[in-house]
Order: sequence, then structure tokens, then C-alpha cells
Amino acid sequence: MAKYLLKRLFYGIICIIIVVAIVMVLIYSLLPKQRIFATDATFTKVLNNTRETYMNQKWEDYGYQDYVTYQEYLGELVKRGELDEETRESVAKLGDTAEKDKPETAVLTKQFQEEYEAKGYTVTRLDTKKVGRKVVNGGNAAMFATRPKPLTDRLWKYFTGLLSIDSIHNVEEDIPDRGLTFTLYDPLAEGKFSPAIIGNGTTHKYLLYFDSEFPYIHQNIISIRLGMSYSVSSGVDVFDTMTRSQGSYVLRQVTFPTGLVESSADNLHTATYMSGSRDSNMVAKDRFTDDYTNVDLYRAGRSKLGYSFIMGIISSAIAYCLGLPIGLLMARQKDKFIDKLGTVYIIFLIAVPSLAYIFMLKAIGTRMGMPTTFDMDSPSKLIYVMPIISLAMPTIANLMKWTRRYMIDQMNSDYVKFARSGGLTENEIFAKHILKNAAIPIVHGIPGTILFAMVGAIITERVYVVPGAGNLLTEAINKYDNSVIVGVALFYAVLSVLSLVLGDILMATVDPRISFSTKDR
Amino acid sequence: MEYDYSKLGLSTAELFSKQEHNDLDSEKITAPRYSYWSSVFRVFFRNKLNIVILLLLAVVILFAYLYPVFTEYDRFGQLLHEGARHLGPAAAIEKFGFSIKYILGTGASGNSTFDAVWNGAGISISLAFICAAINMTVGVVVGAIWGFSKKVDMVMTAVYQIVGNVPNILLISVLMMILGGGFWTMVFALTITGWIFIAYAIRVQVVIIRDREYNMASRCLGTSTVKIAMRNILPFMTSIIVTMAATEIPSYISSEVFLAFIGIGMSEMSLGRLIYEAEAAMVTPGWGFEFWSPVAVSAIITIVLYVVGQNLGDASDPRTHM
Repeated sequence: MAKYLLKRLFYGIICIIIVVAIVMVLIYSLLPKQRIFATDATFTKVLNNTRETYMNQKWEDYGYQDYVTYQEYLGELVKRGELDEETRESVAKLGDTAEKDKPETAVLTKQFQEEYEAKGYTVTRLDTKKVGRKVVNGGNAAMFATRPKPLTDRLWKYFTGLLSIDSIHNVEEDIPDRGLTFTLYDPLAEGKFSPAIIGNGTTHKYLLYFDSEFPYIHQNIISIRLGMSYSVSSGVDVFDTMTRSQGSYVLRQVTFPTGLVESSADNLHTATYMSGSRDSNMVAKDRFTDDYTNVDLYRAGRSKLGYSFIMGIISSAIAYCLGLPIGLLMARQKDKFIDKLGTVYIIFLIAVPSLAYIFMLKAIGTRMGMPTTFDMDSPSKLIYVMPIISLAMPTIANLMKWTRRYMIDQMNSDYVKFARSGGLTENEIFAKHILKNAAIPIVHGIPGTILFAMVGAIITERVYVVPGAGNLLTEAINKYDNSVIVGVALFYAVLSVLSLVLGDILMATVDPRISFSTKDR
Repeated sequence: MEYDYSKLGLSTAELFSKQEHNDLDSEKITAPRYSYWSSVFRVFFRNKLNIVILLLLAVVILFAYLYPVFTEYDRFGQLLHEGARHLGPAAAIEKFGFSIKYILGTGASGNSTFDAVWNGAGISISLAFICAAINMTVGVVVGAIWGFSKKVDMVMTAVYQIVGNVPNILLISVLMMILGGGFWTMVFALTITGWIFIAYAIRVQVVIIRDREYNMASRCLGTSTVKIAMRNILPFMTSIIVTMAATEIPSYISSEVFLAFIGIGMSEMSLGRLIYEAEAAMVTPGWGFEFWSPVAVSAIITIVLYVVGQNLGDASDPRTHM
């Protein structure tokens, strides 16, 4: 069994990798990359050479290519110690054309060209654009090297970067006392007993800590990186976009490391390193004693996944509680009134476009005085009612359909006739024999229902304005946020592989006749 | 011993009667003539509800295809006509005089909602039938091969797992962006992977009946695989295929509505696009007709198609022909 499951998981992982590869080909290779500027306001403002460099910079940000400018190259040389700061400043400005470069600049541009062409880059030099003697808007000379990212490279980088482990060498600057401190009294817990691991030189300041928020123990050592969002929620990882809480700030009394006490929404446990932030920012200087100044904020609402999951799980629970018994009743009362009524309901939900009945429900809800526009700050739980009903209705119809089908199929089988001839009552036959057999395929779907509750429902969430995860993919597609698309696709693929495997395990536990290892057969 | 038949309420003659043996008669096959498709339709039309629904379907299809031919539909024809926009049925009839054109009021650009709905219905129904025809044909053929050959099974199952996991919305929207959002692009986007799900369902059915005894016997007698597929398996699958088509055809109308709603619609004014564009009108009091008319028409079309298909599927199961 274990061996079989490992094999299944292995195939699952291969399948996921291929899916991610296909998604990458779809969005990076098939879609024209000019598309990202379609709704870009800055793009229409920048002109001439600046537009070229702007486009190339954006393409790097969106993950299409590697892009290095001549100025960045000079900075790199200074870092390597091959160039001093003064020379850098003197050669940083390019001549109007390659011939008009200063001799020392010419040497360096040539070096830049050779070095990057050897790495497979294409080096472009744009001459100054002038009208008469005046440089036109955005017409300054520019030089840069670009290289499209090959798929294999992109895939390898993506999958190796999925899990990031925090280490004390993560901070690049020279900082004193790198290392980990284990303390039993977390400085943020104000003298109470609360163990924590604090790092210096790590990306996160608090690597392990306890607090009053669910699940009470938190870690920042291993973080999941699905891809940095660019336009959906700028600079935030897809995983964080899905799991970070939303809504209005929750203010509380916070004692900052400098001793300043203030009403603030800052969650100091989430502090991450931001190079030079304390010196450049007066607000940070007043509050923090080091450069770990980038903090998350306490917010009142749940995360995108949280909202989708809560609604999904409640609606699935309702669906199983209603759909199964009604399906059973329909099978027992086959061709009678209840069966016909149920069939009408099933046909209605299958045949009518989901958009139509969700809008219909919304209209009914409004008529009944139910809130139908989701408001994260509302204390009322009534706002959950209509979305949950909308989500539950099609699931109930589906469960009714399949429960009825499986039950009726079982009712015609030989063992039922045998049981009946043996003198069992109809109730006994149904409860002890038919139900157990008919439940097996239904049980198989339970893990999938639970896991896919997280994904959310696109239409329901749009219609009721729920800030859930369902719309993340469509939003990312509309905003050309490529890394979010890849991240969400990976998330879906993982869920679907997991739910199939878990469904098989559950099915094998419920039915001892089912075995996945060849030996047991 | 003489039995007292009167207790059973039957006469002796009713129980048995002596027959003369005739060699010639015993050679005749006296079973009634059985034709599969005529039996299907006999069972189908036995249910009076089916006739009603079929008539309704005919009316809907006639309206969707013939009405736009006879009436020129110009979406922006009354754009400059002040006060023609967003009228309810009563107000529109009062303004323009009674005409079938205005029984559903007017839309955002002063156009008749009734015209728009039937134009859209024609496009949506065409889309559904074309997509279903392509997907069902490819799906059934591939599914049959997939079920028969073990080697193909291995490859196709892997392909199925991968294709099934690529988010459909992503694939469709990428295709719509590359190829432009026309009608045929939508057909292409819905069929490029759509067939594999049908093929998988067919494959499961083929696997179930492939190794049944009668097929084994057939094979032992030397019947070719093609003949087994055509004569032994296909008739068995007819009711399954018809039932599947019944769920497939309306599902394309639903998914077109869904795609238009999330902004990946066609450029043609289909029902989905009408619903998408009238979404704001739903919440505005008095403008409801613009939104609910296309929703209601798409619901009627899908329900009618589904019920006809399901009942035809039931009728094409030979077990109901008794």
C-alpha cells in the first residue's frame, strides 16, 4: 500500500511539473509580451529610448527575460572591486554614439559587450536622439544586455525556489553578530514566559514564536514561495497573497524595540530585514533598533483562502447532510412523488447556467432582507448565509444525483435479491447492505470536496463580492501577472493530485475489499 | 384427478389447449419485427411531455434562427434616440407603439432587448451544437481506441491527467488573447481539450464491456476488432452517448455565459455577452428586463435541450423497449 501510494505521488509530482511547464509555455511563449503594456499608464508617457529601456525593465519584472544595463554592470564591477567609485562616476555617462565615447568609457562598454555576449545575451546600444542640438524627451543614450529565459531554466529555478529556508547568511550587508538566539522570554511578550528563536542575519527576525493568534505557534524558518506577484498585489508572494489576512487594521498598544509605546497595527513578530531602512526612514528610526523594519499589519478579516475555505467547508457539510439523505429517500421512493420532485431540482441546477441561478438566489436574498454584499468589517454572520446557500445548492444536486444512481444500481444486484429471499426487511437491506456499497464511490469524493473548498468559486465570490481566492486566477490573467498565474496553477494541480490520492486511501479504508498493492490480491 | 379450476377463477380453456403440430409452421419465425430506432422513437413519443418539450425546442430554435433573418438587428440603431434607453416593456410599448420588438423593453443603447436576445440565442445555440458535434465525434472515436488498446491506455491516461490539470480558464483566455475573440476561436478554445473528458468517460464504458463474455465469444469466433467495436460495443453505448450529448450541449451554453461573465467572452453578441453587459442593469430598479431576459432565455434553452436529450437517452436504452 505504502509503495503504491509513493508511486502514485511520484507520478503526481511529474504530472504537476509538466502542468507547470505547459502553463509557462502558454503565458511566456505564446502570449505576445507587448500585451502587458495594454493598460499601462506609464508606457504612454515614456518615449523614445526611455520607452525601450522601460519595456525591457518591465519584461524583466514580469519574468520574461534577464536584463542588465551598462550602469548596473558598472555597479557590479565596483562591488567586485575592479573599479573604484570615482572612475565609475566618470564613465557612467555614455557618449551620443559609440564613436563619441570617452576612451575609458569605450573600453568599458566594449568589455560589457564582450562579457555579456559570451553569456548568450544580446547587447543593444541606443544612440542619443536629437532634434537639432537638443536631446528629445527620453532620447538619452542607453546600453543594455537582454537574454530571454529558456523554459528549462525557468522551470528549474521555479521548483528549486519553491521552499525557501531562512539562514543567518541571508542578509548580504556586513552586520555584526550573525547568529541565532534562543530565549524563553520573548521580548515582545513583555516578560511573560514565551519561548522564541530570534535570528540576526536571517531574513525574518523571529524564526519561531508563540502568540495569541491561531495556531499559536508560528515559524518563519521554511516559507513557501510560489512566485512574486507583480501587479495583483505588488511585491508579495502568491502564497502570502492567498494566506495573508485582509480588511481594516486592528490597532493595539505596541511597545517598539526602542521603547516607544504607540497604538499601532504592526505585528512585530513578522519583521523582515530591509537593507538601510532605519537610516533612510525617520519613522523606522524612532521605533526600531535594527534594520528589521518591514512588518505585516494586524487586520480584522480573514485571508483569501480563509474566506473561501470557511464558506466552502460549511457549504460542503450542508451539502453532504442534505444531499445524501435526500438521494437515499429518492432511491427508496423511486418513481414516486419525492423522486420526481428531486429530479426536477437536479435538472434545474444542471441545465440552468450557474450564473442564472446564483443571480436568482441573490435577488431572492435581497427580497428577504438578507445582506448580499460581503463586508469584511461587518460583525454580522448573516453575510455568510447567501454565498453558502449558493455554493451548497449545486453540490446538493450533484450528491443527490449520484447517491440515487449508485443506490438504484445496487438495488438491482443479486445480493439484494438474496438478502430479500433470506427474509431481511427492506430497512435492514437498505441500511446494512445497499448503503455500505453505495457509499464507497461517494466517500472517494470527500477529500476532493474539502481540498477544493479552498479554491473558492469564481461566480459566487464575484456576485456576493467575497474577498476569496476564487477570483485570483482570473484577476491575474486580466492583469498579466504571470507569476501569480503559475503559482495558482501549481496550487490547483497539487490539490487535485492530493485529493485523488487521499480519496483512494479513504476508499480503501472504508472498503476492505479494495487493495492497491498487488500482493494482497 | 379432476381439478377444481373454478377456485382459480379460470376456465380449462384458458389454461391449456391442445395444438396440432405442423412442421411448416414450426419453421416460421413469429417474433414481431424489431427495428431499433423505430422502437426508440416509439418509446420517446409514448411520453406526452416529450412532445410538448420538443415543440418548445422547435419554437426556440425557429425563433433563434428565423427571427434575426426577418428583422434587421442593429445594436446601435437607436443610439442617438434620446429617451429610448433602458425602458421597461410598458414604457417601450407606449413610446414606440405595440410591436413584438418591444415586449421586453430596450437596452443600454436604446436597442430592442427582444431582438438582442434572439440574435444572441442563435449564436449561443450554434456554438453549443458545433462544439458538441466536434467534441463528441473526436471523444467517442478516441475513447473507443483508448478503451481497446492497453498501450494507448497508458499514454492517454497520462495525457488526461496532465491536460485535466491545466486550468481551463487560463487555456481559453490565452487562446482568446492570441487568436482574437471571434466565434471560431471560442469553438477552438472549447474543443481543443474538451474532447478528452468525453473520451475518458467513453473509455471507462468501453473497458467495462470490452471483456464481457459475448465479446470474448465473438473474438473466439474470429470476429475482427473493428466489427466487434461497430456491432457489439457501439449499440451498447448508444444510450450512453445520447445521454452524454444531452448534458454536453447545454453545458457549452452555460460555459459561454460563464466565460463572458468573467470577461473572456466572444466578440459576437451571444447570450453570455448580453448577460455580461447587462450585469449592472440587474441591480438598477426598472432595468431588470435587460438582464433577466437573456438569463431566462438561456435557462429555457438549456433546460429544454437537457430534458429532450435525457429522455431520448432513456428511450435509446433497449431495456425500455419492452
